[in-house]
This record gives sequence, structure tokens and C-alpha cells, in this order.
Amino acid sequence: MERTAAAGRYRRGMRQRFGFNFYDVFVTLFCITFALVCFYPMWYVFVASITPYEEFVKGGLMLWPSGGVDLQYYGTIFRNSSFVTSLWISATKTVVGTLLSLIVTSTMAYAVSKIHVPGMKTLNVLAVFTMFFAGGLIPTYILYLNMGLIRSYWVMVLPYGFNVTYFIIMRNYFSYSMPKDLEDAARIDGCNEIGVFFRVLLPLSKPMLAAVGLFIAVGFWNDYYSYMMYIANKPTLQPFAWVLRRVLTDSSMMSQMRTGALDLGAQLPPPMALRMATIICAMLPIMCVYPFLQKHFAKGMLIGAVKE
Amino acid sequence: MKHRSNTFASPLGPKGAGARLLATVHKYWFIYLLAVPGAVFLLLFSYAPMYGILLAFKDYKMNLGVWGSPWVGLEHYRSLFTDPSFIQAFKNTIIINVYHLLFGFSFNVFLALMINELQFRRVKGVIQTCVYLPYFLSWVIFAGLVQVFLQAPVPGDTGGVVNQIIVALGGEAIDFMKEPALFRSILVITNIIKTAGYSTIIYLAAIAGVDPTLYEAAAIDGGNRKDMLLHITFPRILPSVAVMFLLQVSQLFLSNFDQVYNLYNNFVLSTGDVLSTYIYRISLGGGAEFELSTAANLLLNVLGLIALVFSNKFVKKLDVMGIF
Repeated sequence: MERTAAAGRYRRGMRQRFGFNFYDVFVTLFCITFALVCFYPMWYVFVASITPYEEFVKGGLMLWPSGGVDLQYYGTIFRNSSFVTSLWISATKTVVGTLLSLIVTSTMAYAVSKIHVPGMKTLNVLAVFTMFFAGGLIPTYILYLNMGLIRSYWVMVLPYGFNVTYFIIMRNYFSYSMPKDLEDAARIDGCNEIGVFFRVLLPLSKPMLAAVGLFIAVGFWNDYYSYMMYIANKPTLQPFAWVLRRVLTDSSMMSQMRTGALDLGAQLPPPMALRMATIICAMLPIMCVYPFLQKHFAKGMLIGAVKE
Repeated sequence: MKHRSNTFASPLGPKGAGARLLATVHKYWFIYLLAVPGAVFLLLFSYAPMYGILLAFKDYKMNLGVWGSPWVGLEHYRSLFTDPSFIQAFKNTIIINVYHLLFGFSFNVFLALMINELQFRRVKGVIQTCVYLPYFLSWVIFAGLVQVFLQAPVPGDTGGVVNQIIVALGGEAIDFMKEPALFRSILVITNIIKTAGYSTIIYLAAIAGVDPTLYEAAAIDGGNRKDMLLHITFPRILPSVAVMFLLQVSQLFLSNFDQVYNLYNNFVLSTGDVLSTYIYRISLGGGAEFELSTAANLLLNVLGLIALVFSNKFVKKLDVMGIF
């Protein structure tokens, strides 16, 4: 931190010396252009989804909502029953899955961080190996079939119980970022291993657990793969990400939604507008936690992932 | 080694292996207990499926199970290598990954250098917020954005912004998503937009570790900012760049299922079908070639491991400092 501050001070001095030149103009323009390329699509979709029908069909760049704000497309999609069901499914599996994954992954990460305990080196290698080698789609499907997981809710939760990526991050956190003296002090004061874990380690790693939990939760919210592969066709279990995919690609889903709107007397909404409103609904929860996500990974927490 | 040190360590005389194990478990029982749930999940959901890899060498019969089905040797690999769509998917995977490496990777490094050169802290913060954001959206959402943006106009619906601009400038609307010649470019560009911001983090961390006195010395010697960028900042992050490059090379055979599956359609199969989508398409995604799919997946995994081992050797040879 001191270094960057010093560099910053120094650079501000540089600017005074050299003035605002062509170099700065180029750098700033380049960065702003790329930032706009990243941000504008989301902004466009957001503005278009709240623009009234008459303005929407005219097209345009949609830099600002013109002709007032109209939430009719949101009304249309929320009247669709599979929407509400899928939001519920996604919300519950995100909460249950995140808790499970945090508990299973963090306890093993802590155990493996005690690398001097016999067997932990092997366990570590076994865990990391799964990053690079997996059974594959069909073997996994056959196994889940034998386990009775196919077409059940739990196939969207249980397979993600142990997460290798966050295992490595947490293991590094426990091995490098934890003050070892504190643990030793607790032991000297007569705390046993259980006490060290519950009274020292857990309270100290709360911020880390919250951050990793947030990332895991985003993963669960975005996951549609397990539904697509292992459930495929069971409307009561559809997660929201899958409904979004269907709205984007499945024309029967789209016509069902449009006629639903027609029954209520509104004019036939353009498919594009409904797609945009759905995209915004899927983005909303992520946007809500984004400030926290950015804070943690900009701080470099995830860089620990690469440190061996 | 272990055996000898243990005999020395126990003055009470040699113990049996079982007794030693019992003593260890007794001493660390809590640590082992904490490892149990993770180990069980690992075993059940990561290692148990590996048993099914046998399918790659079997003629799978549902009623006989994996073990009971008859062996067919390398039969599936023979049919795999004569399947034109497998060869096509293999080629596409490599070509697309080389494009990612050429354009995506160099863009990431360039972007990190540019963000670092930004002078105003507040502008820098806003720009970083914008460029990190797409990383957290799933590919479903992002592909939705891309499709909405590139949509060709149809009766009763306005086209996407890009086509509206093309038409307004007097050009002819292009159906981007159905054009095989454009699909790989779309993959590379959308991947840059979605992940470039995130990839800069590692380089920015490396740049933050550069000793500021180097810049001061350069300024005294009359160097301008461009010189400092080329002769101080860039050489300092080169080790990180090299490591990231090798890591990406090691993924030459991997393809991003999420991205391709959400963007492609039957019109662009010739240029867009990659190995992971091929493996899905011939099995659960409509086909019934379960053994072929498993065989392709095993081949992919083995090639990936080989690439990883090789690039890891190079990474170890580099004199890497800082964050790694």
C-alpha cells in the first residue's frame, strides 16, 4: 500500500512537470472506449426494457429512457408461472448450496492446511488433480443414475459441495494469511484443537468466508448446466438461468409468454423487449452484490488462487 | 526414511504399523474429522465418475452395467478419428484457442498497462468497475446481450443496435449469429469484453509491486512516461505475463462450453463446433453415442494433462518472482 501511494504521489508530480499531453489523451480515450464497450450493452438492454412500446419499436441507441418509464414487460414475464417457480428454485438452491459448499470446502481446506498431519499431502494432491482430470459427461450421468440423483433437486446442489478452486484459495488463506502465533498462544493457554478451530480460526476467517461465499453464491445463481444435463425436462425444477436460456432460444416459450400478455389486453409485446426484461431480472441479484465482489477481488484475494 | 525416523523417535521400542496409525489418528482426530466431509464429496462426485471411463473401451449395454458390458478395445477411437465432425471440432478448438491466445491474451496485457497509466484516480476507479463487471455475469446472460445487440431485423421487431447503425449508414443488415465466417471473431471479441478486465488484476498486482525509485531514477535521467512503460513497467511484469501465457497454452485443447453453447446454432457448426459441445451433442444433447462421447472426453483429458505437464515444466524454469 505504501508503495502504491508513493508511486501515486510521484506520478502526480510527473503530471505537473510534463502537463497533459498526447500520451495521456490516448491512454484515457482507450480505457474509456473499452469501458463503454463493456458497460453500454447492459445499459442499452436496461433502458430498452423500460421504454414504452411506441418508442421501443422506433429503435435507436437508447442512451436514456425516452417517453417515460414503462414496466409492462416486467409485468408480462412475472405473470408467467414458470418464472416465479424458477426464481424460487434458484433462490433456495443458491442458499442451500452455498452453505453446504462453504462448510464442506472450508473444513477440508483447514485440515489440509495442516500439511504436517500424515495423509494431508496426499489428500491435497488428490483434490487438486480433479481440476485437470474428470470422468466426463456420460460416466457422471451413469453414476448419478445409480445414485438416484437424476431428475432430482439435489443434483443441482450436491455435486458442487466440494469446490476445488475455492478449496485452493481457502487452503492458502489458512496456511499463509493466518497469524500462527495466535494459534500457538491459544494452545499454550490450554485450548485444544477443537477450541482453536471454533474460537480462533472461525472468527478470524469470517471476512474470507463471506467473500468466498459470495463468489460461490454467484456460481449457484448462474448455474444451469446441472439442470440441462441431469434433469433436462421437469418444469417444477427449472432454475432461473435455464428459463432465461429458454426465453432467449426457445420460440415456444416466447410465444407462450406473448399470448399470456395478449390475454390481459395489452398489445403483443415484441420478443426482443421480453428478452431484455428477462436478462435484466437475471442480472439484478448479481448487480446487488457486485460492489462487494469487486471490493474483494480487486483487493487481490483471488490472486491467492495462483500462489502455490 | 519415514520408518527409520519413527524407530528413533519411539524409545519404547518398535511399534507395529497399526499401533502407529492409531496413535496418529488419536493425536489428530479432530483434523481428520474436519477432512472427512470434503473427502467424501471428493470421492463421490469427482473420483467415482472416473470408473465410468471404462466405457471408452466397452460396448455399453444398459442391462449389463459398465463392468459387464463387452470390451471392444480401441474400436471407439477408430470411429472417432474417422468421424469428420470430430476432426472438425478438434480443428475448431485449436484454431479458436490460438485466436484467443493471439488477440485475447495480448489485449489483456495491453489493457492492464493502459489502466495503470491512467492519471486520475476517480476515472481509474470508474473504468475498473465497468471492465470487471461482465466477468460476473453468466454466459447465458452475456450471450443474451450479444444476441440482442447483433440481432438481424425481422418483420415486427427492430434489429440490434449494430444492425441499426449499419442500416442508418446505408449498409445492408447482417445476420451476425448465422454467419460461419464471423463466428470465431464473435467468440474472441465477446471473450475479450467479458474477461479482459478480470485478467488485468494479476498484472496490476505485479505492477503495484514495482519499486517506485526505478521511476524516479528514470525521470532524473530524462525518461518520459512512454520510456518508463517500455523499459521499467513492462519488463517487470514479464514474468507474470510468461506464466499466464504458459497457463493458457496448457489449455489449448480445452474449450469454453458455456460460451460456445450459448452463442452457437446449427448455422455455424462448421466453424463453431468445439470438442466440449461435440461431446455434449453426440450424447445427451440429442445423439446416443455414449461410448464415443466418453472416448472423446478421455482423449481430451489426457491431451490436456500432457499439455499441462509440459507448460508446468517451462513455468518452473522461469525465474518467477512476486505474486507467484
